[in-house]
Amino acid sequence: MIDFLRGLAIVVGIFLLGTGLHRAGVPVPGGVLGLLLFYGALLTGVVKLAWVERAARLLLHHMVLLFVPLTVGLMDLGPVLSRQAVAILASLLVSFLAVLLTTGLLGRWLLPNVPEDQGAEAGR
Amino acid sequence: MTLAEGLRNPAFSIALTVAAYAAALALHRRWRSIPPIVVACVPIVAALLLLREPYADYNRGGSYLTWWLGPATVALAVPMYRNGLALRRSLPRLALMVLAGTVVGMVSAGVTAWLLGAPLPVVMSTVPKSVTTPIAIEVCQELGGIPQITIALVILTGVLGASFGPALLRLVRVTDDRAVGAAIGSAAHGIGTASLVRRSEMQASVSAWAMAAAGVFTSLLATILALFLRRG
Repeated sequence: MIDFLRGLAIVVGIFLLGTGLHRAGVPVPGGVLGLLLFYGALLTGVVKLAWVERAARLLLHHMVLLFVPLTVGLMDLGPVLSRQAVAILASLLVSFLAVLLTTGLLGRWLLPNVPEDQGAEAGR
Repeated sequence: MTLAEGLRNPAFSIALTVAAYAAALALHRRWRSIPPIVVACVPIVAALLLLREPYADYNRGGSYLTWWLGPATVALAVPMYRNGLALRRSLPRLALMVLAGTVVGMVSAGVTAWLLGAPLPVVMSTVPKSVTTPIAIEVCQELGGIPQITIALVILTGVLGASFGPALLRLVRVTDDRAVGAAIGSAAHGIGTASLVRRSEMQASVSAWAMAAAGVFTSLLATILALFLRRG
């Protein structure tokens, strides 16, 4: 429990640091800024993975709960959504295929020359 | 105290949301194809409509939950770090693939909506649709979009990727586990990644890395875009 709380305190602390820096004028949004700071802290060993693993897992595992309130807000957007439905759905399909095929085909082209990483044999 | 009065109490709407979420998870465990986010929202929307409560009243408590999306974004550094360690050798190429996909995705989403006559806030809401929800919301707000539209698109993208992504990639003969993972992670974030877990450990871990990287790239590119918009 103490383990978990310490992890949570670190994650929240870094988030607050990120939002603070954002407010002080760094243009990147606070959450992503926090992510980058946290990633840097893990790479340099300032923060140990074991300290934060449980708290991070809980936050990521139950992320769906965290965006329920915003999604409920769709109820106020019915008119906008129905008027723009075609544009929104077309944009969804086009962009989904564009990302999937760009990244996938680039990978088909770029990756065969790179030796398999460790753990690659864990594949199918 | 009537129900309607209770709903105005932040603690009540938090409890209601957690209960609806727990019920949605239980249903999801039995029927895998039912997305929890949809099921969790139905009873809440029904209760609000039935009691004629405005969304703003419910959201006074709801916003406490929304706040935690920030720390959840920060927590993404953990899978990114853990999976990045195992992928050290191909990481630069994976980063290039994800960056290319992200640029193409943001541009194609915005341009498609714009060509079909959507107003600017709707266009901006489509731009971050490929990335994980908390980052997508941050980016959407930064660009002056409507967060609810972005959330709906993010979820739909994830469901598309989880349902059809692997088959589409097979169709164009993308078979390398790392390429499949990177493509699904960039196009369909966490929902796509979760669908890969049972297929291949390699695909899933590349996908988790790619989803976090795509979020960071999207946010950085949007920051540049927002600076231009403000100047223009």
